[in-house]
Amino acid sequence: MRYGRSAAVVVTGMLALTACGGSGDMDDSGAASSGKPRIKLVINGGLGDKSFFDSAYAGLRRATKDLGYQLKVVELGSDRTKWEPGFEDAASADDYDILAAGTFDVTDYIGKLAPEFPDKKFWVFDAPVDYSGKNGACSNKCENVYSVTFKQNEGGYLAGFLAEKLVAAKALKGAESLKKVGVMGGVKIPLIEDFVVGFTSGFRAAGGKKSDVLVQYVGGDKPFGDPARGKEISTAMYGQGAALVWPVAGLSGLGTFESAVTAKRYAFGVDSDQYQTLSDQAQKNTVVTSILKNVGNALYQAAQDDQKGSLKYGAVSSVGLAEDAVGYVNDDHFKELVPETIRTEVQEAADKVKSGSVTVPSAL
Amino acid sequence: MSSVLDVVLSSAFLAAALRIATPYLLAALGGLVAERAGISNIALEGQMLSAACTGALVAGYSGSVTVGALCGVAVATLLGVLLAALRLELGADAIIAGIGLNLLASGGTAYAVYSLLDDKGGTSGLKSGSLPTVTLPGVENVPVLGDVVSGQNMVTWLAFLAAPFVAWLFYRTRFGFHLRAVGEMPDAAASVGIAVRRVQYTGLALSGALAGLAGVFLSMGYVSFFVRDMTAGRGFIALAAVFLGGMRPWGVFLAALGFGAAEALAVQLGSLDVPPQLVSTIPYAMTLVALALYAWRRKRRGRVVPTAASL
Repeated sequence: MRYGRSAAVVVTGMLALTACGGSGDMDDSGAASSGKPRIKLVINGGLGDKSFFDSAYAGLRRATKDLGYQLKVVELGSDRTKWEPGFEDAASADDYDILAAGTFDVTDYIGKLAPEFPDKKFWVFDAPVDYSGKNGACSNKCENVYSVTFKQNEGGYLAGFLAEKLVAAKALKGAESLKKVGVMGGVKIPLIEDFVVGFTSGFRAAGGKKSDVLVQYVGGDKPFGDPARGKEISTAMYGQGAALVWPVAGLSGLGTFESAVTAKRYAFGVDSDQYQTLSDQAQKNTVVTSILKNVGNALYQAAQDDQKGSLKYGAVSSVGLAEDAVGYVNDDHFKELVPETIRTEVQEAADKVKSGSVTVPSAL
Repeated sequence: MSSVLDVVLSSAFLAAALRIATPYLLAALGGLVAERAGISNIALEGQMLSAACTGALVAGYSGSVTVGALCGVAVATLLGVLLAALRLELGADAIIAGIGLNLLASGGTAYAVYSLLDDKGGTSGLKSGSLPTVTLPGVENVPVLGDVVSGQNMVTWLAFLAAPFVAWLFYRTRFGFHLRAVGEMPDAAASVGIAVRRVQYTGLALSGALAGLAGVFLSMGYVSFFVRDMTAGRGFIALAAVFLGGMRPWGVFLAALGFGAAEALAVQLGSLDVPPQLVSTIPYAMTLVALALYAWRRKRRGRVVPTAASL
């Protein structure tokens, strides 16, 4: 029996190891020691989200093809307890020149690691590290860290503006009698709030009432990865009279498009063009447009600037509509669903934000 | 306050409660069978996840939702048997082995989906379809009742039939009697000639099958695709329902239904002017209150509750 017990421990240990073993993924394009700058993209989550990280990966892939970078991807998975050691391992290995990572969650790790590796460069997207150096982070003022943030409130503004125009003009077939619209966020954190605040202000700018915007959060164990719960919440919003719902909740948002089909209503996509990424035609048809956050473009831009030596380390750059880092999809499907007058009005609203004559409130 | 009452009495809320309770109900009954057989099935989460993934993949490739669902349930059943084997043949701690199986399921399903579809997120690119819904002719047009009951997925119906089935199994069949005896005191059961291992293997297989049905519901009923780690802790909530329900079939049934109702309430109240953080605590607060009530009642009656004896 004693032998049996140790055997069991070994088997269980092996099971655990296969499950959480390293997920390093070489993506070598070109010879190893050719002196090309090496980027290591460390993902606190996984690829395949069809929006945020996939976009970052695509942008950096483009940099390997056009600009001659090398790219290596490390996926740390969704278990938060593995993130900090994962970043420490990734940063201490000498197989990169630039370490790229995104989301608010990584700022503490990068703030701590960047001063330890002053010869390396760090790119942080979608959140800034704390350059002022409180709490022991950024002891070198993070002068080797470039941060880029996105004005998602500007994208939200356009979404809200378009939503109210569509509802007011009774332009959505089958939902003509409805006045309400919904936004489904993942969790109530400043970044997601920024989308919501922008949406509400756009909705009001177009003449809508704040009380007609239903806002709800997925929450729970996997707020950005629970499509069943996302579907349930969207169904509730459609049931409360929402003509369209805009999910800002990663993979949970996939549930929204299913419930839009059942309820015969509409939805907006987020981050990447979800008309393209969805496969089911009935679901595609519910997507009026997608509000884009071009993480990939911003990283490609950073790669380009870094080559020229003009990338500003030690500072945050904030990009939005004016830089084409945020925008909306203006394809044939959009033109089919949205009358021309409204399309022009949305374009004008975008131009006003770009030129700075309209300032969108922010939650950050 | 009146708007809250409106919500609770609406048919949308009741229909949502049944829908949300379905995976809890099936997985909790699965957990109950294992617990009463004397082996804690902490791998409910992994069994659900594996079934959800297998179901969607097989249905997508074979073009048949029935085949997909059956394969999903079969894989979860095998995982139940595997857990029993780790415990009984190798003497592993059921909790540790269960955690191992959960990790295996999480990593294994993601790996399977990636190697087959080249997609790290899930199977949303694969058309796999859903299990059919059941519409009751006649009932359909009854106000409220028709909206709540008719049009629910067939798995929801199975979930509600599973509770009387498990109760019947436990208290009306020879197998159920043996199962409870084995769980309570395996040595005594063996001394009167009950095949302890066979009963435990069968119990864990049934436990896995029920969890598998819960998983299949997630990827082929609730939504029609699989997403990495889509169970999102539902297996553990189901496990809580097993204990909250006092390890008795109807108690577990009520506990799982209660969790479903609490979550449906959170969803329906979400868009009212109530802070979302407060709303999302409803299911957990309810659990604490229910556990406290249960403990208080037990103390007053001084009744002994069966526990998993063989750990």
